[in-house]
Order: sequence, then C-alpha cells, then structure tokens
Amino acid sequence: MTRDWWKHLILILGVIIVIAPFYMMVSYSFKSPGEIDRGEGGFFGRQELMVDERCVKLRDPDRDDIAVAAGRFPGHSDSDIRDALLAEAQSDCSMRPVIFNYTKAFTEAPLLRYLLNGVIVTASIFFIQVIVALPAAYALAKLKFWGREAVFSLVLFCLLIPVHAIALPLYIMLAKLGLTNTYAALVVPWTISVFGIFLMRQFFMTVPDDLIDAARMDGMGEFTIVWRVMLPTAVPALLAFAIFSIVAHWNDYFWPRIVVTGNRDLFTPPLGLREFKGDGDGSFFGPMMATATVIVTPLIVAFLLAQKRFIEGITLNGMK
Amino acid sequence: MAGLSIENVTKRFGETEVLKGVSLDIADGEFVSLVGPSGCGKSTLLRIIAGLETQGAGSVRIGGTPVEDQRAADRNLSMVFQSYALYPHLTVGENIAVPLRMRRLNGVQRLPLVGGLMPGTRAVAREIGQHVADAATMLEIGHLLDRKPGQLSGGQRQRVALGRALVRDPAAFLLDEPLSNLDAKLRVQTRAEIAQLHRRLAATFVYVTHDQVEAMTMSDRIAVMMGGRILQCAPPDVVYEDPDRIEVAEFIGSPKINILPLEILPDGRLSLQDRALDLAVVEGARGVASLGLRPEALRLKSGDSPLRGRVVHSENLGSEMFVQIDVADLQERITLRATPEQRGALALGTPVALDFDLHKALIFDADGARIRRLRHLNAAASEVA
Amino acid sequence: MAVIDVSMTDAPRETTVARATQERRAAWALTAPALILMVIVLLAPVIIAGLLSFTNYSLGNSGFDWVGADNYEKLFTRSTYEKMFIATLTYVVTVVPLSVGLGLGAALLINTLGRFREIYKTIYFLPVMATLLAMAIAWEFMLHPSIGMINRTLEATCGTPFEVVPFIANGCADRFPLWLGDKRYAIWVICFIGIWQGFGFNMVLYLAGLTSVHRELYHAAEMDGAKSAWDRFRLVTWPALGPTTVFVVTISCIRAFQVFDTIEAFWPQGGGPNKSTYVMMFAIFEKGIQQNLIGIGSAITMLFLAFVMFLTLIQRWLVERKVHYK
Repeated sequence: MTRDWWKHLILILGVIIVIAPFYMMVSYSFKSPGEIDRGEGGFFGRQELMVDERCVKLRDPDRDDIAVAAGRFPGHSDSDIRDALLAEAQSDCSMRPVIFNYTKAFTEAPLLRYLLNGVIVTASIFFIQVIVALPAAYALAKLKFWGREAVFSLVLFCLLIPVHAIALPLYIMLAKLGLTNTYAALVVPWTISVFGIFLMRQFFMTVPDDLIDAARMDGMGEFTIVWRVMLPTAVPALLAFAIFSIVAHWNDYFWPRIVVTGNRDLFTPPLGLREFKGDGDGSFFGPMMATATVIVTPLIVAFLLAQKRFIEGITLNGMK
Repeated sequence: MAGLSIENVTKRFGETEVLKGVSLDIADGEFVSLVGPSGCGKSTLLRIIAGLETQGAGSVRIGGTPVEDQRAADRNLSMVFQSYALYPHLTVGENIAVPLRMRRLNGVQRLPLVGGLMPGTRAVAREIGQHVADAATMLEIGHLLDRKPGQLSGGQRQRVALGRALVRDPAAFLLDEPLSNLDAKLRVQTRAEIAQLHRRLAATFVYVTHDQVEAMTMSDRIAVMMGGRILQCAPPDVVYEDPDRIEVAEFIGSPKINILPLEILPDGRLSLQDRALDLAVVEGARGVASLGLRPEALRLKSGDSPLRGRVVHSENLGSEMFVQIDVADLQERITLRATPEQRGALALGTPVALDFDLHKALIFDADGARIRRLRHLNAAASEVA
Repeated sequence: MAVIDVSMTDAPRETTVARATQERRAAWALTAPALILMVIVLLAPVIIAGLLSFTNYSLGNSGFDWVGADNYEKLFTRSTYEKMFIATLTYVVTVVPLSVGLGLGAALLINTLGRFREIYKTIYFLPVMATLLAMAIAWEFMLHPSIGMINRTLEATCGTPFEVVPFIANGCADRFPLWLGDKRYAIWVICFIGIWQGFGFNMVLYLAGLTSVHRELYHAAEMDGAKSAWDRFRLVTWPALGPTTVFVVTISCIRAFQVFDTIEAFWPQGGGPNKSTYVMMFAIFEKGIQQNLIGIGSAITMLFLAFVMFLTLIQRWLVERKVHYK
C-alpha cells in the first residue's frame, strides 16, 4: 500500500474523471433548478420545498373557479378568494426537488412506456437471435452436409458487416415495405446475429459427439436435440451472449433514431431522453437528469450485482 | 564459478513456515541436489538463492559475498525452470541470446532498428552470436536456432532452456525440476547429459527434484529436505546406506525400505516380534524403536525365524526380483530382493522364513533418529559405528 | 449364404445413406432461417447500397437516374466531405491509440495491486455499461460554459498558483472555453468522451490477457538480467499481449468509426461548429435519412464498409500470421 501510493494516486484521479458525469447526473436529479443554476447544495441538494411554477400556472383560478370557491370563503371579495386559491395552489404545488424531478420525469413524458418498449425490443431481439442462431450453430458444428463450408464462410464474411454501417439501405428496405415506425423495424435488423452463430458454433464444437449420438440412440430427432440437449449445455455461453445482446440494444440510439420518427409510443429509452432534451428548457435539467438516471440505472445495478458475468458477456468478442 | 553458503534461512508464506532455518554449504564446482517430497521447501530455497524470493531471516553468500541486497538480475546466477520459461515470441537463437543482450547491451542499443546504428552494437552482437552458436553446438541444437519454441518438442525446449542458462559464465547453475516435464525415456537420457555437462563445465550446480533416482544418479551430495529442514546432506551412497533419520531412509531407495517395529528391552537388547536379537543398544531410552531393513538386506532362510510369512506378490524385473511377503502381526508387507533363479521357491502363497544381516540393520529410536552405538552380543561383541 | 451376405452388407449401407440424407435435410432446415436472414438483412443491403451509390435515387420518387461515379466524385471533391474525412480520421486517430494506451496502462497498474483492484475495475467499466446518450447529456451539462462543473472548477483555480498554466491564466483573464460551441475544442471534446467511454473495455480485455502471461517468464527475465520494469515489459508482457492488442485495436477502430450518439446529442443539426465533428455515421444519417439524398448516403456507406472490412481483414491476417507464436 505505501509502496503503491503513486499507483493509487493515478488510479484515483482516473476514478474521479470516470465518475464525474455519473455523480453529476445523479446529483442534478436530486436538486432544484435554482441549486443547479447556482451550483450549490452538495450532492443531495438542500431539499427545501420548492414551488412548481407550471403547476401553479395551470391552476390559475378563473372566474368559474372563484364562483365555485365562493361558498368556502363566505363574505370575501373575489380578489381575496383569488388570492386564497392561489395560496392553496402554491402549497399544493410545492414539493421536495427530488420528488419534483422524478415525478416530472415520469409524467412529462411516458417514461414507463419508453422503458417497457426498451424491454420489449431488447427481449424480442435476444429471443429471436437465439431461435435463429442456435439451430444454425448446431448444424455448422455437428452435422455433416454438403455446403457446410460455404455456409460457414458466409458467416465469417457477414461478421465483417456492422449493422450500423448498412443502416441506410436497411432503412430504405423497411420504408419500401412500409415498416418504419413499427416494433418490427426496431427488431428485424438485429434478428440475425452472425456473431451469435459463430460464438455458439465454437461452443458446440467442444461438446462431445457422444452426447449427440446418445440422444439419437434415445430416438430424438435433430430438432429435439437442439432444444433438449444442446440448449441446456449452452446455458453459460447463452447467458454471456444475453448480456452482450441486451446491453448493446438497451443502449442503442442510432438505429431507433433512424426508424422511429415522431411516434412516442414506440420510443425506446434513449429516444425518449433525446426528446426530453429537445423540448426542455433550462429549468428541466433536474427532471431530465432524473430520466437519464432512470434509464441508466437498470443495467448499472445488474452490472454491480453480477460483475463477473457482465464483464464476460461484454467482452465476448475477446473469445474470437 | 563460486561456492554457495546458506545460513539459517527461514521463510514463511502467511501462516505456514516453509523453511525453518536451513543451512547448507556448497563447494565451488559441486553438484548438490535438493530432494524431498512436494511442499518440503526445496523450490523455495532455490528461489531464495536465486533472489526471486526474499528470506525471512538468515543469509545467502555467493563466493563469500553476501547477496541480501542484490536482486536476482545482479546475482550472476543462471536458472533452468520447470516450465522452461522460454520467450514464445523469440526464436531459439534469440532466446539463448537474451541473457547476454540484457547484460552487454544498454537500453538504447537493444532498441530495434535504432540500436543497430549505435556505436559498438555490431561488435557486441557478433560476439553474442558466437556465444549462442557455441552453446547450441554443445547441446546439439544448432539446427533449431531459427525456430520458435512453439515448434519444438519437450526435450528440445528443455535443451534450449539449458542453452540459455549456460550461454554465459555464471557463479552457479540453479535447476528447478528441469526433467519433470519429459517422458521417462528422455528423462534417463537427459539425466546422463546434465551430469556430463556438469563434469565438463566444472561449475556449481544446485538441482531441485522430487525424484530420488535423479538425485542419486547425478549428485556429488544430496540434501534431503522435509518439513522445511534439511534432514541430511551427504554423498548419495552415505544417504542410502547410513541415513541419519528414518524419514531419510524411507524417502531414499526404491523399493522403499522395510520398517519393522522393534522393542528395546530394559537390558538394552533389541526384540523383534517378541524374540530377542543378538543386538543391544549401548545407551539411551528403552521401549519402542524401529528397525530399517533394505530389501537387499533380507534373505531367505530355512527353519526358524522371527519373520515368517507368505508370498503375496512378486515383480520380476529380469535382473532382479522383488517379492512382497505378508508377515503375520505386521501391518505392512515386507519387500525382499531376490534373484530370478529363486523364483521357484517364491511362488505366490508359499510360506517363507526370512533372515537378515545384523550389520545391515538400521535402528531408529522412537523419534526416528538413528541409533548408531550398538553392541553385537554374538561373536565378538563389536560396536557398529 | 448369398442372401445373408446381401442383407448383412446392404442393410447398413442403406441405413447409412438414409441417415446421411436425413442429416443433410435436417442440417439445411436448421440453417435455413439464419441463411435467409443473413441474405436479406446483411448481404442484400450491401448490394443495394452498392447499386444506389451510382444513382440519384430518393425515397418517394418513382424513378431514378444512373449517375455513374458522380456521388463518389462529390465525396472526394466537396469541402463538406473533406471535413467529414478530417473529423472521422481525427477522431479515430486520437481515440484508438489513447483508449488502447490508457486501457493498457490501467490494466498494468491494477494488475500489480493486491487490494482495491476489483473496485477500480468496476468503476472503470461503468461507462461501458451506461447508455452513451444519457452520459453524453450529462457531459453536456458538465461542459456548459457558465453553469457546467468543468468551467466552475476552472474558475475556482483563478487566483491560486494554478494560474501559472497559460490556459488557466487566459481563461481567468478573459473567459474559459465554450467547449461544445467552439470549433477549436468540439472535436477534442468528442474524442475525450469517446476515450472516457471506451478505455475501460480495453482495460478489461488487457486484464484478461495479463492473466495468461506465465509468471515463470518474469522470473526467467529477472534471471536473464532484465532489471528495469521497462525491460521486463518489453521482453515478456508486451509480446504476450500481442493477440489482445491486435483485437483491442481493431475493435476500438470499428467502434471509433461508428461514433454517432454524442455528436447527434450535442448538435442535432449540422455536425458541430463549422462541421468540425461531421463524422461519417452522422453524414450517412444526415444525407441519407434526413435529407433523403440516398445516392450520396449510399456512397458514404460503401466507403465506410470498405474501411471497416479492411480493418477486420488486417486483424484476421495479423492474428493468423504474426501473433500466433507457432
């Protein structure tokens, strides 16, 4: 420790730079707009009651409100009643900044819907990837057939093509089919994971042939073997691949940005955050950072809980 | 070349004490083996000599100079590692040249491209090339110089590791189980070659092994280590014939020495299987003791004997034969060396009686220490040294 | 006798043939979905982009004209695209060496530590996990010229001995940079965020690579007279990390070429001040999708694919040739 102090010095400096935006994101999500503007309040802010001006404005009493409220304030003039109502609105609309920020995050935009979309899209992508890749990987690893080398060469060639790079022609194809602004558009380009095929094939190569022969002796067909024998043996590799796939698609911004335009119901979390930023003014820093925190948190928490698995999954590429 | 001197070296890893005060003097040009079961501390001791570990206490001297404040690179020792530790990206020739390049060229001269332009680099490089060629010739690996270690067989890698060690002229050679990754046949062959190499270089060798046959066949002296101590350090024949302790007797020799329970009667006489022997201790405690008998110290006898039993297993090696005999009241079987001609009398299940030469009997006390002062009661009552 | 012979030799052969046929059918059935998708989703778009890059096609138009290599000619003559190449190359050439170097440095430092290594590893990996878009917005706030944490911190150093640094002295005298609004800084800020996000990934790969270095090799190096840490690094560590380095550099390059999220988040229109951060992915997005200039977008796509494929092929060649020490 004493001998290593200079290493810790360098590494801690790195930690500060790495952590800074996370710190700021979470901290701003706790603070009132005033505190953000003035840069006060430490990490949590002072959490003094604040008044939501927009909420007050919405409840600005008009003639009808005053008439309705007249019964509650007998003998008062209209302007008095108006002031009393305003005071009521003020007190109803005042809350702690942290509550204000997070309520706004969920009410200003359908954040829950975005999160649900994120879950639907990442889960569909992963399941279809597995359904498509696993049988192909099994055939390439364990079955002898004419054309196997050609198919595998094709897989190796396709590994060279990043899907982001061919976004434009894919977008044109989807547009021609009238599929833009659908879940299908979000999912389809990712249904084929050549990397998944390659990875699972390498894994299946290590499964002994005897296991498959035994299954055949037991009367299983090739399809049954894939799902009943190979799938269970591949669970660790699939788990790693799941993490790889889910992290990539939960965080993906480029592709949803291209195929989803305007239809909020299809927004994935990053798109929702982007829109929030687009129409927000300065006073919305707090809620916006609350949204960002909500979007980033699930993966970070999962990562902290299962670090080893995540690092394995994300660096899957390294196994090539 | 130089001798080594180790004094009271201790070492602990966390809670476990690996070396408990080891002292050993190795003369200039001597071949000493450190032998013992795994975990006895022999490799740790070698690494302390090398400077790869630091001792807890005690001192190491190389050629009379204390080396505590010198790191491994400065101690002028060569080492052959168990895994050979060849640099996988360098060719055989480059691997052998590394110790010379590191010592004779400075950092700038070692740089690729730029280094070649520095004054003096060429001359030194030529000199190094000559040394590498000489070492390769000595080990007959001249034709492999351009290959990568990955392309070599285990035996060839082992030679390259040797070549890297002897390309310079170190104070001593340290070898850490260099033969353990070779197959049996190659091991026997390389054993002889290393012994020859030692004679030719007349250099100091410290050789760590768990294989007592290697130690017996190559060394000038064997240091038998157990539990972090050197139990005995002596020439191979002495260690075999005249062990100081029961553990040494048990570790050295194959097949293993027979150990029989013995009782020292109140008058000092020894009693085996309730029968008094014509042998008595001169001094020391009475009670339980052990009798060590090498398989060749036993012989077949007709008639009465304290050791009677049945043949349960025999191994005929062609030139000799080892027979295991189950003796009543003894937990372990007794191994007897016989000649193949005797096999007729040693068929499985045959009852046999055994006799032994009292002069070859090794007596150990209850703690396992050798009892050397003995009185022969029969014949002229002489004392065995 | 003959009957028995036939039944004994033919029956197995028939079943073998039948089994082979069955196996072949099963194999094609199992690979068919993957094959079809590979062709539709990956190969067809490449061909389509290749063809469209020679046309003036726009979505919504019924027809199009073949324009030959016009689109490519524009790419290499117009100043907008010159800026695109400069921005992309600046980004790649800055981010790749620095994120690889920092990843390696962090891995080497962490690897020698006994305690706390897991904590550093976890923290440095956080940016890899986090949604880049969200973090880009967080960075945007940090870089805000007036209320951002960075300029506030810099302002706090005014009047302290730090002012001997010319950059801080200038900032205190006048004002600190606008960062994202300043064309001198914009691309470097983007590079910085790219490095910030990517080096933890490289570090983890290097840490995995370091565990495969045989410990005895370091001892051999020490015995061979490699006294300095640098000598041991040159003799043992760096060669052993060869395969990891080839992989890390390639993947960093491909990721660097694909930079998009940060730029779109900071400058939804136009690719930064004076187009100083107009990288290829953004150009594809802007030309092809926002402005519906499919021809030129396809040409950029083809160029982009060529870069990425070239890099990957170099990587595969290196892996097979050089770093396999066999």
